[in-house]
Amino acid sequence: MGDQLDKATPSEGLLAKAAEGDKDAFETLVSRHQTSVLNLIYRFIGNRADAEDLAQEVFLRVWQAARTYKPKAKFTTWIYRITINLCFNELKSTRRKKLFLFRRSRGEVPGRDDEYFTEHAEKISSPEDLLLSAERNRQILNAFQQLPANQRMALVLKRFEGLSYQEIGQILGCSVSAVDSLLVRAKRNLREKLTSYEK
Amino acid sequence: MNCRSVQKRLSAYQDGELRPGEQERIMEHLKICRTCREQYAGLERVWQNLGGLLEIQPRPGFYLKIRNKINEAHGRGFLPRLRPIFQLLPAPLAMVPLLAIGLLIGTYLGYALVERGLSPFRHSPVSYFHEEVTLASLRAFDSMPPGTIGDGYVRMVSYAEEVYR
Repeated sequence: MGDQLDKATPSEGLLAKAAEGDKDAFETLVSRHQTSVLNLIYRFIGNRADAEDLAQEVFLRVWQAARTYKPKAKFTTWIYRITINLCFNELKSTRRKKLFLFRRSRGEVPGRDDEYFTEHAEKISSPEDLLLSAERNRQILNAFQQLPANQRMALVLKRFEGLSYQEIGQILGCSVSAVDSLLVRAKRNLREKLTSYEK
Repeated sequence: MNCRSVQKRLSAYQDGELRPGEQERIMEHLKICRTCREQYAGLERVWQNLGGLLEIQPRPGFYLKIRNKINEAHGRGFLPRLRPIFQLLPAPLAMVPLLAIGLLIGTYLGYALVERGLSPFRHSPVSYFHEEVTLASLRAFDSMPPGTIGDGYVRMVSYAEEVYR
């Protein structure tokens, strides 16, 4: 995998090469988008193991759909659409499992502390800070998980991916004003939930 | 601009999604209005809190697992490829063809058992006052066929009349 391929080629070009069977191009594409896809899923479903499985599934779909890809939208919009469809399907199947099998899903333990410690131990100086930071992370993820799915997704796309309302609308399949109203409600709900944690 | 219309637009203002003129008008309003400023500070707190969620990194071997999944998908047979189609169907809808298949199998097996005389519910020929029911013996067109309540009532009345006579 050359650096030339890594930096100069746009993602659409890498995908076109991947469609012809170029595994290096596909690997570059994965390494370029893996963190954003993984974090998008993790913030939406709140469980690391499930997020990693789903992120792999996203790239499998990208590989399978590479030949049929038509560059009507930006590559990121396309890959986020795939990611979001998988996230919503996962959510549905988790609900179905809960309904029919009456069992807890893995997704019900958002931001488990042991996961957090292994992930962020190097970035935070003292053990107390690490503990506090882990607790805060758990609270935020918990509050986040209680938001309705479409509000949660709109907020993730805005806050963490920095997308415009128009791009979010394209990804979620709704109008700009609908995105605005989703975000207003999401922020209001989240503020109420986080305030109740602070009390 | 009044507070109501400003507060409606605060979220879009925070996201920088308003037209330039509108963005500036809200900025000016926030300088003079304490209530709206507090509302906006609340939104900013939410934004900062969300920033506290740290980023996770893929575990080593992430790409290898994707390659394995791709290889597995290539080697899959016909039926597993149909799985996504079935996943689209909600469970009750998926139960309808299963129920229909069950009914068909049940009807066929039941019919086959009766035909061969293997039915566990063996039925004796219908008898009617120890008589075999045939079309000739079936007095279905009598005004009061024997064995009916009406027939019993008529017999009772005629017996009573004979007694009292």
